[in-house]
Parts: sequence; C-alpha cells; structure tokens
Amino acid sequence: MVNGYRPASLQEALEIKKTTDAVPYAGGTDLMVENRKGVSYLFLNGLEELRHIREEGDYISIGSCVTFTEALESDLIHPLMKEAVAQIAAPAIRNTGTFGGNIGNGSAKADSVLILFVCGAKIRLASVHGQRTVNMEDFYLGRKKLDLKPEELIVEILLPKRGLDNYYYKKVGGRNALAISRVSFAGLLTVENGRIQQMAAAFGAVSDTVLRFRDLEDRLSGKTLDEASAIKEELLSAYGERLVLTRGRVSAEYRKAVCMNLLKDFLEEKGI
Amino acid sequence: MEAINFLLNGEETAYDGSAADRLLDVLRDSFRMTSVKCGCKEGECGACSVLMNGILVNSCCVAMGAAEGANIVTLEGFRKTERFAVLNKAFAATSAVQCGFCIPGMVMAAEALLSKIPNPKDSQIREGLSGNLCRCTGYNAIVNAIHIAAKEGNGLW
Repeated sequence: MVNGYRPASLQEALEIKKTTDAVPYAGGTDLMVENRKGVSYLFLNGLEELRHIREEGDYISIGSCVTFTEALESDLIHPLMKEAVAQIAAPAIRNTGTFGGNIGNGSAKADSVLILFVCGAKIRLASVHGQRTVNMEDFYLGRKKLDLKPEELIVEILLPKRGLDNYYYKKVGGRNALAISRVSFAGLLTVENGRIQQMAAAFGAVSDTVLRFRDLEDRLSGKTLDEASAIKEELLSAYGERLVLTRGRVSAEYRKAVCMNLLKDFLEEKGI
Repeated sequence: MEAINFLLNGEETAYDGSAADRLLDVLRDSFRMTSVKCGCKEGECGACSVLMNGILVNSCCVAMGAAEGANIVTLEGFRKTERFAVLNKAFAATSAVQCGFCIPGMVMAAEALLSKIPNPKDSQIREGLSGNLCRCTGYNAIVNAIHIAAKEGNGLW
C-alpha cells in the first residue's frame, strides 16, 4: 500500500507508530478535510481490538475506533453521551467518525470531548512500551496540544458509569444538522441525602480546551440545595471572572453571555 | 507494490494509487463512477454519498486505504435493483429532481434510511437526509418521494 499502513493487530500498529510518522486514521472525517499532501496514514479502522464497548468495573470502556452510530445503538452508552453524539454532524459522518478521532483531533469544539470532560472520563494510551491511563482533563494541554507521545496511540475511553443521571446538556450551533458548536455546555449534579456531592460544569468551543473550574465546583460540595441557592449569585459572578474566552466563529462577548445563561439555567433547572 | 482491493458495485476491483487518495476522486477519475458528485470535499454536503459495507458514508472523507476489503456501492450499482426502481418512480412522481446534482447522494441516503427504518416518520426522513444539501427543491418533494417509496415498496426494505 502506497502512503499507508494497514496493520493486522494493535501490536503491529504500535510498532508502525514507533518507527514511522504515519498519521493514525480512525474514521477519517476530520483528517480527510485537510488530507495533507504527501501524508501517510496508519489505518486503524479495521482493528477489532479498538471497536469494543464493554463494562469494566466502574467504567464503560469504549474502543477508540467505535463510531458515533455504534455508540447510539449500544445499550451500554449513557443517555448524556448519546444526546451529545446524536447532534454531531449528520448520519454519514456519525457512521464513520470515532471517539478516538474526536479526541485526537484536539479541538475544544469536539462534542463527545465535552461530555468526557464533565464526566471525569479517562483515556487509555498504548505504545510498544506499555499502557498508561490519563484523566481527560489532563490529556488536553492546549489548542491541538495533547499529552500524547509520538509512539503512543489512543486505544480506549473510560466513561464513568455513576453520577451521570442528573445531567444538563445544550449545544448552540448555527443550525440543526452539520453544525459546529459555537458554545456547548454540560452540567452534572449529584445529590445524596439532601446534600450536594458534586457539581460539574464544562464549557466547550469557547477556548483552547474545554473549560472546567474544579475550585468553583467544589464551593457547592456538601451544601443543601437551599444553601447552594443562597450563594448562587456569588458563584455566578466568580464564573464570570474566570470565563476569559477567545473569539472564534462568533465574538467572545456572545460566547460569554451564552455560557453564563446556560450555567444559570442548569443550576436553576436542578433546583439551585 | 500491493494494490488496494475492494468490491465496487459487486465487482472485484484493484487500485494501485496512494492509500491517502480520496475514495471520491478514485471513484470518479479512475473508475468513471460519475454519479458520485464533488460538492465540498469536507463532509458537509452529502453529494458524494456512497454505501460502504452497507453504511452511508461521504466518499470525500474516506481514504482509499480505509476502503481495503470494503464493499462499495454507488448509484451505478444501486440502480440495477428493484428498490431503486421504486425510489426512481417516487422521485419522478413528486418532481423531486430539479438540477439533479444532489440526487445520487439523496437516493443513497434514502436507501440507507429505508434499510434501517422501512416505514420512517417525517422527522426520521428529515434526519436521514440531514447530511445531504439540496439548493433547488426545498426538500419537501424529496421527503414526500421517500414517503411514497416506503409505501409502494412495501416489503422491499
């Protein structure tokens, strides 16, 4: 094969990754838009080892070459992830686009990545030297910058099973189908015995990476909904200060206003 | 040099060019499958839609290396089927074709949709066609054609 490698196993793929600069190819939907002249691809789409969806302890493990359509058809994928993935592009793109590709492309606009951030998902990486597992939030270092060594491949996504049911998700795009997110937001609230265990709020498409502010989220931990309501305005203004956004397809001011509205709507919908 | 082998409309086919070439370009330029239209080359318009292993894909976003061993069906192959005859008649009945550029992609998207959902609701048809842009018809005639095809082709899908 000219300008391409088609490994028969993950092990073979890892060996090719170590010795060549071939670009990992899962679904191709992002890569083929640019299709850089002279590029060589490492085709991972035929590797069954990267196509599973299965339970693994407290997590659902999703192989990096699982397509969005496959996830939508699986009983193991949580409705929050399905809601986000269902809004990606259109059927033909969802049929080929993958979780690994969405992450590997390194964009803060990636719709599945927002959900991985808010859930506290983990990413499993592999190389010929072995495997390592990193937190999604640590994996994104900046715009198109990932904590990924040249010899490593993204092999698995670990999505937590618990704490996802009380969710809020909104994607703001220019139209229904084929829309790139202008702002996306996902929120989670877990309440036990009347007290907030954790609040999580993730903002996508508004900066170099998806944004989460753990210290602000922690301000609600241990509080009742009434106690949380009492400090809501203070919390919102703290978010207002921290959300320093970049201009993209739309102005920074617009993005900020939408982020604040969605955060407020999320808190109010959840009784805060 | 190892060629890329795949099935094209049921025939064993070999391509000995680059694995990074777009399926779209190869189908048109090397194999003269000119029903496959190039509208955007970025997966936004659906004019280059084909079936790959029975699944709808944008051929502009598929590299040839990913098509190794795949079963590719374009409109040239699909038009030999009974299902096509039903869709063809329905598209004509509602005047769903104007300039025609999007239509091969629309028909492949309709086939993919009906294979999954033989009796789709209006919203399901619109979702199924959401990746296929048409600048002439305003879509309603195409949606109606698919309703008719689903009804007339009862049992075919």
